[in-house]
Amino acid sequence: MSERSVDDFRSRARAWLEQNAPRRGDGDNEPGGPGRADIAAQQAFQARLYDAGFAGITWPSEYGGQGLTNAEQIAFGEAARDFALPVGAFVIGLGMPGPTILELGTEEQKKRYLPKLLRGEEIWCQLFSEPSAGSDVASLTTTAARVKGDGEADGEWVLNGQKVWTSGAQYSDYGAVIARTDPTVPKHNGITMFIVDMHAPGVTVRPLKVATGATPFNEVFFDQVRLPADSVIGEVNDGWRAAVVMLRNERVAIGTMAAPRTSPLSYDSLSGLAARLGSGADPGLRRKLAELYVRERSVRLFGRLLREEAMAGRDPGPRGSVAKLAGAELGTFASLVAADVLGPAAAASDREDVREVLNAMLSAPGSSIAGGTNEIQRNIIGERVLGLPKDPGVDRSTPFNQLRVGTLRRVEGGKVGSDRRTGDGADT
Amino acid sequence: MALILNGDEEQFQQSVRRLVAERSPLPKLRELMSSGQPFDPEVWKQLSALGLTGLIIPAEHGGAEAGYSVLSVAFAELGAGLVASPLLADTLAAGAVARLGDDAALSRLLPGIASGELIATLAVGAQLGEPQLGEHSGTARADGDALTGEIAPVLNAAQADVLLIPAAAGDATALFEVAAGTPGLEVTPLPSLDHSRSLARVRLDGAPGRRLDGDAAAALGFAADLANLAVASEQLGGMGACLEMTTEYAKIRAAFGRPIGAFQGVKHRLANLRTSWELAHAALRDAARAADSRPADFPRAACVARIAVSASYVDAAVATVQLHGGIGFTWEHDAHLYQKNAISQHALFGGPGEQLDRLTSLLADAGA
Repeated sequence: MSERSVDDFRSRARAWLEQNAPRRGDGDNEPGGPGRADIAAQQAFQARLYDAGFAGITWPSEYGGQGLTNAEQIAFGEAARDFALPVGAFVIGLGMPGPTILELGTEEQKKRYLPKLLRGEEIWCQLFSEPSAGSDVASLTTTAARVKGDGEADGEWVLNGQKVWTSGAQYSDYGAVIARTDPTVPKHNGITMFIVDMHAPGVTVRPLKVATGATPFNEVFFDQVRLPADSVIGEVNDGWRAAVVMLRNERVAIGTMAAPRTSPLSYDSLSGLAARLGSGADPGLRRKLAELYVRERSVRLFGRLLREEAMAGRDPGPRGSVAKLAGAELGTFASLVAADVLGPAAAASDREDVREVLNAMLSAPGSSIAGGTNEIQRNIIGERVLGLPKDPGVDRSTPFNQLRVGTLRRVEGGKVGSDRRTGDGADT
Repeated sequence: MALILNGDEEQFQQSVRRLVAERSPLPKLRELMSSGQPFDPEVWKQLSALGLTGLIIPAEHGGAEAGYSVLSVAFAELGAGLVASPLLADTLAAGAVARLGDDAALSRLLPGIASGELIATLAVGAQLGEPQLGEHSGTARADGDALTGEIAPVLNAAQADVLLIPAAAGDATALFEVAAGTPGLEVTPLPSLDHSRSLARVRLDGAPGRRLDGDAAAALGFAADLANLAVASEQLGGMGACLEMTTEYAKIRAAFGRPIGAFQGVKHRLANLRTSWELAHAALRDAARAADSRPADFPRAACVARIAVSASYVDAAVATVQLHGGIGFTWEHDAHLYQKNAISQHALFGGPGEQLDRLTSLLADAGA
C-alpha cells in the first residue's frame, strides 16, 4: 500500500460519492433508524456501492470484498463523512456478524452469506442482550438443544428464549444469535453462536418502545425454532470467543463514529439556540458552552488520532473503549449544558428546535448503555489499557446452573417489567 | 498534517526523556528545595546542549528552527520529570521578540537565548495577553523611557539577565528591554508553591528601559498562545507521570486480599483519568501542529488544549495523593510535588475562567 494509491482511492471515493450520495445536512438525524418503506431503496444503494467497488473494502475478494487495507477503509470513511449514506440497514451486518463470520465461519458460510450481505441482498441483525443478561451478557438464558429422537436430521438444534434491544430485527433476513448449549459448565464455556433465519417458524419480533417514546429497537422471541447443524459459527460451546470478536468490532464502530455537527447537542447547535433564546449573553453559560466546545473537539481529535494510528499499522485495541466512554460522557455533559441553554423552556415549549434538544437529552443516557455501559468500558480501560488486575469474581469458575443471574428481586413500582428489561443494549 | 509523532519527534522525545532520567530525576528537585537554588546550572547546560533553548529560534540567530511540535514534545518530558529550569521563561521571551520583529533586538537577544547563555523573561504576571491597566497582577507605565509599576508573579525574574516589560506608553502598549541590575529595578523572589517554578515580584521605579519596535500587542498575544501550548505540554507530561505512578502502585498494593487496582472504586477512577489524558493528548497534538502549519488556528487550538488538560491534571495529582493512601500524604512520597505543580500550573498564564473567556471570544471572532 503506498500513500499515493490511498490518495487515489480517496479521490475516487469522493468523486463517486459526489455523484451518487446525498450530502449530510439538517434533518437527517432520524433517531428511529430506517423505516420498512426505504429498505428497498437502501438495498439498491448498497448494490450500487458494491458495483462501484466501495463495499467490503478490506474483505477478501473471494467473498465479494475488495481485498484492500485499513488505510483505504479509513480513507473511504473520511470521504464519506460529509454524506448521509442511506445504508443504515447494513451497518450492523457489515460491522458485526460479517467480520465475525469472516474470522470464524466455515468456508461454506463465507461463500453463502458474505457476498449477499455486501451486495445488499440480505440484511442481518445481532441477537446478544437478554432481559436478564445485559452488561453480563455471558449469563444469557436463551437455550439451544440438540434435537433427539427418530427422523430428525443429525445435529439439528432447537432454539428457545428471548432477546432484546435488537436493531433492525423487523426487516432482517438473518441474525447472529448466542445461546446456552451447556448449563453445567461455567458461563463462558457453555455458549454457542448460531446463524438464525429470521423468517423461520417460531421467530416473533415485537417493537420495543424506549424512554423517548420512539421504537428504534425490538424484542425477539424464539419458540422451538429449528437451526440446522451447519448454522454454528465457530465451535460448539466456544461461542463466547465469537461474541468477544463481535463486541470488539461493535465498540470500535461506535467509538470512532464522528457525531455529526448537526446533532442538537453539539456546540454549534446549542450556541445557535442560546442566541435565539436570548440566553447566550449569560457569562456563566458562555463558559459552559466553551467547555462543551473543548470536550467535543477533544473527542473528535482523539477519534482522528486512533484512525491515524490504525493507518500507521498500530492496533487501537482496547483504546476503542476510551473513545466509546468519552463519547458517552460528552453526551451527558452536553445535556447539562443544554438544560442551561433551555432554562424554563425545558419544562414546556411549542418550539420545534427546543423539542429536538429535549429529545436528544432524553436519548443521551442510551449511549452510556448501548454497546457496553460506561462501567463496562471503565473495566476494559482499567484492565486492558492500564493493565490493572481483574476483579476475582466467582462467576468465572461456578457452573452456570448454580449462578445467580438477572434481577434478583422485583422492584416495587417498576411496572414495566423490572425483571424483564434489564439488558444493557449491547446489540445496539 | 498527522497528529501522531513522526520518527524524528519520537527520537527527540527519547533523548529528552533519557536526559531527564539521568540528569534530573525527582531527587534533584528535592535537592533544590533544600538548597533554595531555583535550578541546577549543570542541568540547564545539558538542556541547552541538547538544543532545547533554540528549538523555535531561526537558524540565522543561532537556533535550530525545529518547530513547535518538537518544542511541545520536549516540554511534556520536562513536565513529567518536574525539571526546574528557565526554559519556559526563555521560550516566551524568544517567541515575543521573534513576533515583534525588531531586527536589532532579534540579533541582540536571540543568539544568547539559543545558546542558553542568556536568560530572558517576559514580565506578564499571571495573565494572558496584553495587560489591562488596573488589574491585580499589575502593569507598568512608561514616561518616555522611564518605567514605573509593579508586576507579579514573573517567571525566573530573579535569575533573568534581561527582562521584557510590557508597559503602557501613551495609548498603546510597548515592550521595553531592561537589563538585570538596572537602577530603579527591584526584583523580589516570592515563595513559590511549586519549587520547579521560580517566581518573583518586579518593581520599577523610573527604571530606564530600551523601547523595542514592533506590534507589542500582537507579540503579547502570541506569547499567550505559546504559553498555553508550553504549559499544556508540561501539564500533560505531569498528568501522565501521576497516572503511571498511581497505576503501578494499584497493581502492587494489596488490601482485603487483592491488589487495590482490582476494586472498581480505584480502577474506574484511573480509567476516567486515562480517558481525560487521551483526550487532552489529542487536543495538544492538534495545537502543536497548528502552531507549525495552521497559524490562524493556533490561538484557538492552544486554548482548547490548555483547558482540556489543566483541571484534569489537578484531578490526577490529587488522585495520586489519595489513591496511594497514607504513604501518598507523606513528605517522602513524590505525590505532593506533582500536586503543587498541578495547582500552580492551573493558575499561571490564564486560570480556568480566563481561558474559557478567551476561547469564547476566539470562537465569536471566528464566527462560530
